[in-house]
Formats: sequence, structure tokens, C-alpha cells
Amino acid sequence: MFEWMAPAFASLYKATGWNFIVFYERYEYDRFVDGAMLSIGLILLCLVLSIVIGVLGAWAQGSRSRAIRWGMGAYIQGFRNTPPVVQLLFFYFGFGAFVPQVDAGGYYEPLITAFGWAVISLGIFGGAFNVEIFRAGLEAVPRATVEGAESLGFSRLQIYAYVTLPLAFRFCLPALSNNLVSLAKTTSLAYVIAVPEMTYTLNQVWSDNVNVPEMMILLFLFYVVVVSLLSVFLGWLERRLALSGFG
Amino acid sequence: MLDAIETLFVWIPLILQGFLLNLAMSFIAMAIATVAGFFVGMMLLSRRAAVRLPTRFVNTSIRNSPWLVVLFIFLLALPFEVKIPGFGVAFIPDWLKATIAFSLPVTANVAEIVRGAIRSVPTGQTEAAESLAFTRRQVFWKILLPQCYKRMLPPWMNWYALLALGTPMAAILGVQEALGTAQEAMEAAGGKPEFLVPFYGFLLLLFFAYIYPIALYTQRLERRYAVKD
Amino acid sequence: MFNIFKKSAGALVCAALLSGVASSVPQIASAANERLQAVLERGVVRIGVQSRFVPWAYRAKDGSLKGIEVDLAHDVAKAMGVKLELVPIRSSNRMQFLQQGKVDLLIGAMSDRPDRRKIVGIVEPSYWASGMTLMAKKGAVSSWDDIRGKPICGKQGVFYNKIAESQFGAKVMAFTGNSEAKEAFRSGKCLAWLYDSSSIGMDLAMGEWKGYEAPVPTIRENPWGAAVPMEERDTLFGRFLSGMVYHWHESGRLIELEKKWGVPPSPWIAGMHKTHKYNRAYLGK
Repeated sequence: MFEWMAPAFASLYKATGWNFIVFYERYEYDRFVDGAMLSIGLILLCLVLSIVIGVLGAWAQGSRSRAIRWGMGAYIQGFRNTPPVVQLLFFYFGFGAFVPQVDAGGYYEPLITAFGWAVISLGIFGGAFNVEIFRAGLEAVPRATVEGAESLGFSRLQIYAYVTLPLAFRFCLPALSNNLVSLAKTTSLAYVIAVPEMTYTLNQVWSDNVNVPEMMILLFLFYVVVVSLLSVFLGWLERRLALSGFG
Repeated sequence: MLDAIETLFVWIPLILQGFLLNLAMSFIAMAIATVAGFFVGMMLLSRRAAVRLPTRFVNTSIRNSPWLVVLFIFLLALPFEVKIPGFGVAFIPDWLKATIAFSLPVTANVAEIVRGAIRSVPTGQTEAAESLAFTRRQVFWKILLPQCYKRMLPPWMNWYALLALGTPMAAILGVQEALGTAQEAMEAAGGKPEFLVPFYGFLLLLFFAYIYPIALYTQRLERRYAVKD
Repeated sequence: MFNIFKKSAGALVCAALLSGVASSVPQIASAANERLQAVLERGVVRIGVQSRFVPWAYRAKDGSLKGIEVDLAHDVAKAMGVKLELVPIRSSNRMQFLQQGKVDLLIGAMSDRPDRRKIVGIVEPSYWASGMTLMAKKGAVSSWDDIRGKPICGKQGVFYNKIAESQFGAKVMAFTGNSEAKEAFRSGKCLAWLYDSSSIGMDLAMGEWKGYEAPVPTIRENPWGAAVPMEERDTLFGRFLSGMVYHWHESGRLIELEKKWGVPPSPWIAGMHKTHKYNRAYLGK
């Protein structure tokens, strides 16, 4: 791939001054590829974590214990109504100090790296929205369906896992995909805690090589492509799972 | 810890001053986004494909790019001053550039709200109005818009809240708002690690105290305006 | 030069496409001395300084900017007879600020590098000098080779990062500001803090960092250049700034500022003070 395109971009630079150094210099190319892979990994992990939190949270919100319901409410409101960039800094710097770490001689090999904190912080942030989305989905499941399952002798957990959740998931998919797309975009904030994802990497490249406009265009295109692919996939899923007679 | 909280109190006035800038940025950006979003929303509903399709493409691209990236593009690529013929040179400070940058994704989303709300009015109403000899313009202003306004308000307020929560990102590019000021304060006070929890915690509380009431009010509106099926 | 203009025009087109509105093209000085005239007409000189670099330029409790470079900026404004407007810059954006004309000149702790000379008009002589060094817990690091494969905290936009990565094989985690980077370092997220020797020397001298040391020799010592826009380097404006810097060395102003702000004395500045003495012996007593 690199050998194939390097000459073209090198001559583009010579001819026009457009310096896409990440496509013709080995060191920068490796940085770029690493950054892209890390960004995609970060996005996927954040989405998965936020969905898991959403599913568990919506289950907890239906709990009979008032303390659990109140705790969920506080979590949702706390994360929805504060700036994600400050949350990220707070998690990384604030909580990072309380996590056990292994002394590696002068520094600590942390159990949770900056990447790990980004996944946790952004996953929890996105999860706060997902809980509400799943709850709305659960509420849309007809009461009669649940009663039917109860009369067949399903337990509360079984009903949640086999009946209400699969239905709720389909009901809330449009809202869910909106939130997941927005979360994917928010992952670029990991830049502030030095996670070498795409935004961070291209920033390094443009400050080392002073080719700001080119790298900015590349950054913009990267996210537009990745996020568009994600929303196309979610749109396909929506159509695939659509229930006739609902929505 | 007590020491750190004492330090925090010394700097709170300056951080609050920075927070005023967050508020100003959010108000101005929302005003721009509301007006611009309304027009873009109309373009998304245009009957002409030559208007509708390019608008949809640009709108979707903007909605699909992270705010941070839009912010970078605006701060580094926009000129710092604009020559207005007859008025001389207008200086664009950083915070204003950031404001314009923030208004862009919000515009795209307000446009979607407008489009969605107008599309949500049953087509029977438009047909009925047309059969009563209302013009297309009258249908829009007298029939559609009054019904949409209520539907648009809650999502519009939601976007305002998201916008206000996005403004601290401007600190990354050197705008002296609340987050930027807090970071400068920590550095100036000796950069001790024990400052981190109180300073960032204070910022979280500050934004929460402002946004939470807005969120509650939005929820109330949503319930009140919920269209009963 | 041509390339840069072409590129920023490209970026503008891109921004205009994105925003859907036509944006104006930045004013690019064509005539000589345009900037100087603009400053004089405005009655205000806009000088870019750092805002989180104690004690060169940092934000004081009352919100104002203070420090060595701020004092130098005041000297410049005073000599020009205009008011001073301090514009806080970041290492990652300072050259763009100057290119765009957001600041008239830059006294922003910027190392004078050949690639930077292609973009902004760095004037001679330089006013300060420093190199890259490390701060680490006592005994943790003894040579530059010890950082191979280890996490090192750095700051974004600093050219030391690339050297540490490509020459010493360190894994640099670069943060947006000094404060975040130092927090990360102090809380043990990295083996060392890679930064400027002047700043690290200052931190150690202040006594806030007991139990830490600067264990490796400073390398790549490099002077800091004040800068004007590229096209103004050889005009009145650039030559004026050269004169200012020369005078700071000659008069001992920089040594005086070192003392005022409690900075450990720099051998480079002492040397410049010596070599920039004009021999006035022929004037007699």
C-alpha cells in the first residue's frame, strides 16, 4: 500500500506544495496507520461499553429498590449535564490517582492506560444517554406481551432477556443509532489526554511538518468516512430488524 | 487537600469570569444556528432536487464530523480579520471564531429538527389547506409552523444544552473560558497534583448547576407538548 | 513562500465549502513596512506570548499576564511608543497566529529552527536559549538511553517529542498544556517529563519538586528567536526588533530579568552579554 502510493504523493508535494507527508514518508505513514487503527478501536470499544451500560442501566431502572433507581437517575443526570471534555480530564487525572498501579522503576505501569480511561469515560458518558433510550424502548413494549410471557412462567430476568429487551432494542434503534453516531464523534476528545488516536496523531504531524491545511482536510475526511460507514451500517440494521406494524 | 481547596477559592472569581465567556459563546452560537438552521431546514424540504440534494450532502457531512475537528478547521484556517467594504477591518477574536465553529454543527442539527417537525405534520392538513385555496406560503406560515413550533422547542433546547457543554473544548485551542482559565490557574499556583480533583470537580459542578435546570425544563416541555395519539 | 499562500488559500476554500459562506481572504502584506505602519496607525502592538510558562509568561491571580517575555514585550511597545496588547499563544498555534496576522510579533519561547525560518521571520540575535532535558524521580533515569520504550510525558507542538521518539525510541505522550503534562508526570503516568531545560531548571529551583532531578545532560541547546511575519523580516519592523534584542543583550537587561524572576543564570546569556559589548574605548572617558 505504502510503496504503491508514496511516489505519487511525493511528486504531488514537489509539484504543488500540498504536503500529504503521511502518505510518502515511512515514519509519518506508520504514525498515521497506528492512529487510524487506534481511533477505530476506541470507537468500537466505547460503543460496546455504552450499549452494555445502557442495557444493564435500563434493567436497573426497573428495579424495585428505590436506592438503585435513585442512583441510576443521579448517574444519568450527572453525565448528561456536564461537559464530556471535563469528564475525561476528571477521570484521567482525578480517578487515575486512585487506581492501583505497578511500580515500573520511576513511573507506574498503570492498570488503566490513557486509552483505557478514554474508553471508560466516554463509554460511561454515552451509556448515560443509552439507559434513557433503552428505557423508552422498554416502555414501548406492549404490556400484553409481558403478561403473555408471565403467564407462560418466565421469570423477571428471562422476560427481560428473551422478550422485552429484543423488542425494546428494535423500538429504540433509531434513537440508539443517533446516540452511537454522536458518541463515535465524541471519541476525538481522547486527544486531550494524549491518546494517540487520529486527531492527536494528525496534530503531531502538522506541528512537526507545518502542513496544517492538508492534515486538517485528511482529519475531516477520516471522520466523515468512518462515521458515515457507521451510520450506514446502523441504518441497514434498522431496516433489517424493523417489525412490521410498529413504528 | 484543604490547601488545594483554598487555592481553588482564590481562583474562583477568574474561573467564573471565564464561564461568562462560555455562556456568551453558547448564546451567540445558538442564535446563529437557529436562524441559519431554519433556512437550511427549508432547503432540505425544497421540492427542487438541485437544492435539496447538495444541502443534504453538506448537512450530513457536517453532522458526521466531530466538533473538535470543526473547531480546529475554523481556528486555524479562518482569517483573523475580515475587510468589510466601507467599514474597514473587523477583527475576529478566537472566542468568536470558536463560536462560529460551534454554530455550524448545531445549525446542521437545527435544520434536521425543522425538517423533521414539518414532515411530522400529517399531509392531510396540507392537502386540506390547499383545497381551501391557501397558497404554499400561507400553508407554511399559518398551518405548519404554528404546530411545529411546539414540537421543535424541546429538541432545540436539547441542542442548546449540548452546545453549552461543548464550549469548554475551545480551551484546547487557547480560548480563555472556564476550562482554559482553570488550567492556567493550576499551572500558576504551582501545578500540584492535588489541585486536579477540586478544580475539575468545580468545573463539573458549575456546568451541572447551569445545564441541569435547563434539562429539567426541557423534560417538562416534552411531556406537556407530547402529541397524544 | 508561494506554497504557503497557495495552501492557506486551499484551506480557505475548504473552510468556505464547509461553512457554506464565502470567507474573506486574509490580508497579505505586499508592500514593505506595511505591518509597521499598521501598528503605528492602530496605536497598539499585538505581541504573542505564552500564557502557561512560569516565569516567562503566565497568568497571574489578577488575570493579567506576567513574566520575562511579558516584560520584554513591554519594552518593545515602549520603544515604539504604542500601547501593548498581549495575545496568549500556544506552542502549537503561534506560527499560524503570526502568519494570519493575529499578532504583529512573537516573543513566545520559540526555538529558532530552520523549518520555522521558512515560515516566520525569526530575527537575529536570539534573546534566550535552552535545550531539551528530562525531569525524573531521583535515581529513575541516568542517561538518555534509559527512556527507550518507556512512556515520557511531553507537550504538544514541541519539536523535542519527535527527537525523543526517533532518536531515543521513547513513547511520548504529548498533552495540550504544561499543566496537564506535569500532572500526568507527577501522578506517575510516565517515567519523565520531557521539556525545555529552562522551564525544568526553574521548576527544580522553585522547590515545588522535591525528590525530582534533571539527571541527563541538556542536548540540542537552541536559541529562542523573536519573530515578525516572514515578509517583514528584512524591513524596518524586523530590523527594529533585531535592534531591541541586541540592546537587551548589550545592556544586561536579560541578566537583570533573570535575577528579577529568580531564574537560574544561563551561561548562554552571560556569553551573549560579553560578546555583544560594543567597544566604546575610542570615545575616551
